[in-house]
Amino acid sequence: MPAAESQGEITWDLIRKRNFVERLKHEKGGLEVIRDLPAMIEAGYEAVPEEDFVRMQWYGLYHDKPKLGYFMMRVKIPGGVLSPAKLRTIGGISQRFGRGHGELTTRQNIQLHWLELARLPEILSILAGGGLSTTGACGDNVRNITGCPVAGIDREELFEVQGLLEEASDFFVRNREYSDLPRKHKITIAACPHQCNAPEIHCIALVGAPRDGEPGFAVRVGGGLASWPRLADDLGVWLPAEEAVEVLRAIVDVWREDLKYRLSRAKARLKFMVHDLGPEAFRARVEERLGRRLADGAVPPAPEEEHDHTGIHPQKQDGLFYAGFPVHLGLMNGETMLRLADLAETWNGEIRITRRQNFILAHIPEERADEVVRKVEELGFPLRDAGLRGASIACTGDPFCNYTVAETKGKLHEIVEHLERTFGGAAAGLRLNLDGCPHACAHHWIGDIGLQGTTLRERGPAGERLHGYDLFLRGGLGREAAIGRPVLKRVPGTEVHLVIERLFRAYLEERREDERIQQFFSRLGDEELVALGSREAVSVQA
Amino acid sequence: MLESATAIQIEQRDLLDEFEAGQLAVELDSGTPQEVIAWALERWGSQAAICSSFQAESMAILDMAWRIDPKVRVFTVDTGRLPQETYDVMEEVRRRYGVEVEVHFPDARQVETMVRRFGPNLFQKSVEARLLCCNVRKVEPIRGALEGLDAWITGLRRDQWASRANIRKIEIDHDHGGLAKINPLADWTLEEVKEYNAAHGVPEHPLYAKGFTSIGCAPCTRATQPGEDPRAGRWWWEKNAPKECGIHCPIETGAFEHELDALLHPQASSSLRTVR
Repeated sequence: MPAAESQGEITWDLIRKRNFVERLKHEKGGLEVIRDLPAMIEAGYEAVPEEDFVRMQWYGLYHDKPKLGYFMMRVKIPGGVLSPAKLRTIGGISQRFGRGHGELTTRQNIQLHWLELARLPEILSILAGGGLSTTGACGDNVRNITGCPVAGIDREELFEVQGLLEEASDFFVRNREYSDLPRKHKITIAACPHQCNAPEIHCIALVGAPRDGEPGFAVRVGGGLASWPRLADDLGVWLPAEEAVEVLRAIVDVWREDLKYRLSRAKARLKFMVHDLGPEAFRARVEERLGRRLADGAVPPAPEEEHDHTGIHPQKQDGLFYAGFPVHLGLMNGETMLRLADLAETWNGEIRITRRQNFILAHIPEERADEVVRKVEELGFPLRDAGLRGASIACTGDPFCNYTVAETKGKLHEIVEHLERTFGGAAAGLRLNLDGCPHACAHHWIGDIGLQGTTLRERGPAGERLHGYDLFLRGGLGREAAIGRPVLKRVPGTEVHLVIERLFRAYLEERREDERIQQFFSRLGDEELVALGSREAVSVQA
Repeated sequence: MLESATAIQIEQRDLLDEFEAGQLAVELDSGTPQEVIAWALERWGSQAAICSSFQAESMAILDMAWRIDPKVRVFTVDTGRLPQETYDVMEEVRRRYGVEVEVHFPDARQVETMVRRFGPNLFQKSVEARLLCCNVRKVEPIRGALEGLDAWITGLRRDQWASRANIRKIEIDHDHGGLAKINPLADWTLEEVKEYNAAHGVPEHPLYAKGFTSIGCAPCTRATQPGEDPRAGRWWWEKNAPKECGIHCPIETGAFEHELDALLHPQASSSLRTVR
């Protein structure tokens, strides 16, 4: 590298030389690709330059696997809140164009598959007609802004935020100034006392912290997972709710305008900037951009552990209830979406997607609660499954994702069934976070037990590749939030359910009073944990 | 289940774990190719090797590595269908650098079975047959070569193909048992590679002079016209081949194996379809 580069003189020319995607965006912005869509369809999938498919990420589209002309589409759902009509729109597209497939994601989106290039204009127009959008769902954009799925209805909510969340979302979506970020950007906004929206792992989290009765936020910045996991720092500020969009904008601005974070996509996300500067210096940069000081503040203490709003609860609106239902593997097919939409419409309800790939039905009149629970059970989501099935998640993985190395949702299904058979209700609440690759869509770094797909060094009897999983322990969100570590490596896929059974059994039998599984794993050494996973019975010093 | 005890014993080999690899990738991201290679050779010594196809990128890597450690290991795959020019470069490399190129061959029995069943030119008959051929002649031998290593060094660059835009200089290769994959040229352009090679008198594959932009097996590679998509030089007769499978040795990225699994064994990944 020439001397000038190492001395930190960063120019757009250098950026476009070193960073292929910056070059690509400079030649034609991601949002611009939409006007070429008719020509792309005319030319046919095979003739479309790959660069244009990268740009299609700006509209929430990725190649499915194999790359033969089918697409995954990610529909953004700000805060996870859907009217029955919107869910019906998505379900209808799934039915008509997507072979009925659908999945809920950890960022409150819904993803469809099997969509063909030639049908995209029609699909996008149906979505737009239904008040839905995929714009900015992937690519270097502000992604879906997430929140607490019971915003506006939970009795414990500190103040109302859904309006603000939508305002922020509307500001960034399709805003050309913010459609060429150095990398993807993830924002979450909530006033949930349980901090259920995972502020620890977001680029920016506005954490509800009212002051003297005035709605306002503390701010966390610089979190993220993938291959360089980092927990977000407390920015040390407090801001009244009406300044939220302005401050969000200033934070994104100092990052997107700093050329240092354009040079390499391996170090582009906000977390690298916060890490480089430290939260104090980063705050100074934000204040400089704002042209004023921010009030001091602190993020309120996180609750002891991760919280999910499953089960039935009275709303802040008298006489209404919400009910959180577990969705096994996060899979919901198009037909089920249509039926769920029909059901929720009977009381003008809402469907809200949670970050653990489950859903909440809102505004249920008290007298209908039992009936609704029964009907949702008939649709395949029994409330009694909430324990393990509601807590465990897997990424998209096989058969659709081009990145995945090993089976994800199918493997999670096997593991969950095994644990249910073995432990019954005792495994309720165990958070298994299973990923197929290092991108960590299912947050394997912070599960009670995280899994990441890999292959074994040994071959199968016919010389075939054998899949395995690295097991990540000691991670979690909440008061003792921590990034887990891969402790048991290359566990064969055929045995991983047994290894998890042994680890969980050891926890049940050897835990100290009130000890959580993260704490249990944290007080044991790697070798002890490997031994526990490998053998039937090992005594742990209590 | 006693055998599982051995399967998950702590590894004796020097393999990176995911966390360590992520940290190192960021630390070394702004390093020059030489710094990255030197780091890898320092850490792994003869447990690391360069994967070479004798194209411009892997030749630059070899030259850089050889200047750091003349005993650096280089391996390649002889698919049995390589152009003569590739063997000529191989000889030149042996002579100039004094390294023994570790050549891995396909399994003879697998090639015999495949060719007897589908014919010597099976790759022209269908995409599936071509992928099978790639698998037997190239992917499997690479897998074999990697089994004995703790790290491999490749010539992958981020601007070769969109799906490589985010590759890191240090990665864990989860497609091959979790050894480290080192991509020292990740942020270089092809022009920089060519400049380096010219400045250091690095031998050039003769087919470049004949208009080739990507060099693989003889029957499956041809020259391209200036301005033509480099993809046009590989498997140009194919229709409905998966995107990316036709260019720049996607085998090194693992993408090939994912496509292959999806195309040849769709049932293996379809257990989900029976779940709600």
